[in-house]
Amino acid sequence: MVTMAIAKQTLEDMLRRKILLILLIVALGMIALGPSVGFLSPRESSVVLRSMGLAVILIAGLLITILSGIQVIPTEVERRTIYTVLSKPVQRYEFVLGKFLGGIFTVFVMIAAMGIVFLGVLAWQERHFAPDMLKGVLLTFFQMMLLGAMAIFFSTFATPVVNFFLSFSLFIVGNMSAVTESLTSNKNPVTRILASIVHFLIPNFGNFNIQNKLIHPEVTISNETVFIVQNIVYAIIYSAVLLILAILVFDRREV
Amino acid sequence: MAAAISIKGLTKKYLDVWNKTEITAVDNLNLEVEEGEVFGFLGRNGAGKTTTIKMLLGLIFPTEGEASVLGKPLGDIEAKAQVSYLPENPYFYDNMSGWDVLDFYGRLFRIGEPERSKRIQKVLEDVRLDPKAWKRPLRGYSKGMMQRIGIAQALINDPKLLFLDEPTSGLDPIAHAELRDIIVNVGKQGKTVFLSSHQLPDVEMVCSRVSIIHRGKLLAMGPISELTAGEKVEIQAEGIQNGVLEKLQSLTGAVEQSQGRIRIPATDADKVSDVIDIVRGAKGKIISVIPHKRTLEEVFVDTVLKAGGD
Amino acid sequence: MSPSTRKNLIIAIVPLMIAVVFLQSLLDPQLKQIRGAQRTPLVGLSNEFILGPLLGLQQAVAGLLWIRADEFFHEGDYDAILPIVRMVTWLDPHQLDVYITGAWHLSYNFTDSSERSDRRYIPAAMKLLEEGDANNPTVYDIAFEAGWQSIDKIKNYEQAEDWFRKASLRKAADEAGRVTKSPPMFVRHQLAHALARQGRIDESLAVWKQCLTESEEKVKENPNDSSVRNVRDSQRHNYLLNLKRKFSRYTHEIDWPVDRARTQSVNEQTGEPTPRDAYLMTDQKEVTSRANAFRRAGEPVPPMGVGQPRPPATRPLWDTAFDTQKGGTTTVTFPSAKVLDIKGQMAVGDGARVTIRLQDEKWREPKLKDFTFSVDRSVTLMQDQHSVRNYTWGRKIDMSKDPKMYSFSGEYYFLILEFNPRQTSPFIQDRFGWSGEGITDKKYLITIPPMREGQPPLRMIRKVYRLSRAQIMGSQPVTEKDVVPNADFDRFQRELQQTASR
Ligand SMILES: Nc1ncnc2c1ncn2[C@@H]1O[C@H](COP(=O)(O)OP(=O)(O)OP(=O)(O)O)[C@@H](O)[C@H]1O
Ligand SMILES: [Mg+2]
Repeated sequence: MVTMAIAKQTLEDMLRRKILLILLIVALGMIALGPSVGFLSPRESSVVLRSMGLAVILIAGLLITILSGIQVIPTEVERRTIYTVLSKPVQRYEFVLGKFLGGIFTVFVMIAAMGIVFLGVLAWQERHFAPDMLKGVLLTFFQMMLLGAMAIFFSTFATPVVNFFLSFSLFIVGNMSAVTESLTSNKNPVTRILASIVHFLIPNFGNFNIQNKLIHPEVTISNETVFIVQNIVYAIIYSAVLLILAILVFDRREV
Repeated sequence: MAAAISIKGLTKKYLDVWNKTEITAVDNLNLEVEEGEVFGFLGRNGAGKTTTIKMLLGLIFPTEGEASVLGKPLGDIEAKAQVSYLPENPYFYDNMSGWDVLDFYGRLFRIGEPERSKRIQKVLEDVRLDPKAWKRPLRGYSKGMMQRIGIAQALINDPKLLFLDEPTSGLDPIAHAELRDIIVNVGKQGKTVFLSSHQLPDVEMVCSRVSIIHRGKLLAMGPISELTAGEKVEIQAEGIQNGVLEKLQSLTGAVEQSQGRIRIPATDADKVSDVIDIVRGAKGKIISVIPHKRTLEEVFVDTVLKAGGD
Repeated sequence: MSPSTRKNLIIAIVPLMIAVVFLQSLLDPQLKQIRGAQRTPLVGLSNEFILGPLLGLQQAVAGLLWIRADEFFHEGDYDAILPIVRMVTWLDPHQLDVYITGAWHLSYNFTDSSERSDRRYIPAAMKLLEEGDANNPTVYDIAFEAGWQSIDKIKNYEQAEDWFRKASLRKAADEAGRVTKSPPMFVRHQLAHALARQGRIDESLAVWKQCLTESEEKVKENPNDSSVRNVRDSQRHNYLLNLKRKFSRYTHEIDWPVDRARTQSVNEQTGEPTPRDAYLMTDQKEVTSRANAFRRAGEPVPPMGVGQPRPPATRPLWDTAFDTQKGGTTTVTFPSAKVLDIKGQMAVGDGARVTIRLQDEKWREPKLKDFTFSVDRSVTLMQDQHSVRNYTWGRKIDMSKDPKMYSFSGEYYFLILEFNPRQTSPFIQDRFGWSGEGITDKKYLITIPPMREGQPPLRMIRKVYRLSRAQIMGSQPVTEKDVVPNADFDRFQRELQQTASR
């Protein structure tokens, strides 16, 4: 109940953030204007429309997640509202979880809004529903959940500015999983070990990039459902690890 | 009566990372606050009041020493359920209405409905917040209204123990008086209040016992009547010869002289009779002997100055 | 939080991270599948290094670039498109239309001021399609396009056959975005055409027959689907037409107007049209004129008579009399520098096309290892075609306005004039057969041995001149002395191939 109360308060607070709303509106506008691009062949425009839609959702989702993830806890400290909250019978872990959930609900609401508009635009443009795209939106959401957990973890000890760059660069490194993966079979043992550490221990944000499969029918994968489920489980487990770390740090933190 | 707060050797050192120096914000503090007491916690800016309160609430952790609140170790959730806190210069989620903020805090205290709504209604009435403002966002609240919300959120759980950190700072005289009355009322309900304040007249009015800390150290503690007890007696006399003046001066120190009258401060009964004897012996005429009680302010200033405060 | 809770939480991280590593090892092979196709490395860097930071936005970036390319296209800025094609296909190797459009663009859109396309780009176009096909080995689209360019632009029917066969074994994407459907029937229609163009008419007929059988099945399944019926009807038409052509060209010549007017039916075993009247000689006048034709050609006269079947359309051999019709010869002049004025005669029906090709002496089709859109500007390669009208053909070809295309930086050039029956229209082939079985020429007939099993030798006409730069600049005349005997030219080309492959 306490966790949920904090999550709800955080969601309401975040949904009032002008910067996030502007991001959302710009993203929705770009998705809605997607069909007006180009005089391309039907197949090209389908590829472009899909890739653009997914890209806009990814970029907007990324900014929304980072901006809210790095903010939710520091804002409380900055506004000193944390004193009144933590002096109440609230466990510190409840506070961290509540803030995480509130941030994630925010991201969910915004990604869902973009996803709905995206599917609507596609359906309107192509005269049939494209439920496949939901998979991309879903994986983007879980990618963002993992990123949000990471930003929350960093926010327990880093300032928002540091956190922004830290989260962003780790997101990029985590997207280079193809590089680290290929380096795990490098001839040089040092490279191999380092690459393995990076590959397996840094959150692998590249895991969620299913766009290629969704946009191009000719890209096939053994079992899509298994892939998506494994990815979601990965995101949940890794987020749990990051949240445990965040709780461990925050529990010792003076506010 | 059991101790609501018991502090033993509490110390908080802050490390200044840049200058590599250590600030001792609270220094080996020992305190006991009884249940039902309205306890004044006085000290100059930076004396360590807020630091102490934060430690007692588990917001920050002591470097040394220990303390208990309502018989429980610091940070204990059960104790917190019966404690409340009004921080100095409080700030609340300003997009929410007064009602919603209290609803949120009520949830944090795990107060269910319909109890929660009833309590909100009651505390908002208790703090005399204009009902028209209840559902308006805090953004539009004045400082006084904000402070009322602060008190209200500290009352929402019907606490046994309240920590109020400078609850009356920055208020106009009327609001100030109203809030003081509210605190007095709280005290009358048998709640323990730990009041940190600079407003010494207020403290004098509402507190039964006070402590004075300076640079983290406890300098004085006791019932107000005891602290202010050391009486000052003012003796006015006429027709005193010059030689006598020196004698008096050597006895009491400061002697004021004006319009043929002298005013001699004396701090204990023996000295008062000595002065009277000397004046009479010199054929002087005693006009009046007036006992003066010290104000808390004087006690505070004296204590701090004596401790080398600057 | 109590120290024991802290400890438990820290301990809990261990199994969770083990699960994370395990999941990652499960995900990696699947991610490889998603990343899919091997890509052409850019500037020597492993692609992942560049693509990683794109955060799964490659497709979107590629899409944006392609929109930009489309704008260039509409502005006619063709040179700007090629680098974008390269970038887009590299970023997103699954954009089929980018390969297809890019290759089409390379093959067709670079032209000189008289709309003659710059054939130096063709190897690049094919290479781009090859790369695209290798990157998308499950779908038919790019292979089909490669086949189409081979048949339409390059007129290499063997190569076209290979691509269409490849395409026919692939799959097509369905509406739901899954690659499950068989490729459309037109892929095999084109395969049949490519086989027929090679003279492999029986194999071509077999393909039509197979398509027809499948379509009959589909019509049975969807009796109300008019599009399925239309496909079936067109297949049947093509099948029967080719049967009749084979019959007419190689067995007994059909009187096409009669046949068309009276019946459509054909004996599928023999290709024989019914009624037989269509290929029987009608009167004595026809018998006499046919016999005379054999005598003129110096061939023995087969037994003929009214009501008897006609000889095949490819008999007696038809002298194209290249150069010698009406006693004239081909005249090649350069009235001014780089302006070729060429005129000639040929005794074939109107509509047959003579290919005119002017190339560097040492030119040969480059074998590209990787796709590149830059061409060797020093190469001169001009190709044009001109139809025969009233036994003559000719054209003025101005190459002076396009120095980028025609640099004439070499010393010597071959001017090649060709008539290839395999490339000509069916109504002309009705006289000569698919592989020129019915033509002859006293001077310029060459026979190209079969390149595939089941392929007849090709009989075609070729006349080659070897020209110096001075002649092209108009300072020296071109005469019959400059004509290179076909045998010498073939030997020269063989040697060129050998030195190149060494
Ligand atoms: N986070 C901190 N880091 C370093 N020093 C600190 C920190 N918080 C407080 N201090 C120092 O500790 C001392 C006590 O501060 P504290 O806020 O407890 O004083 P206070 O009695 O509440 O004063 P005021 O009446 O101004 O509110 C001050 O010297 C202050 O500078
Ligand atoms: Mg303070």
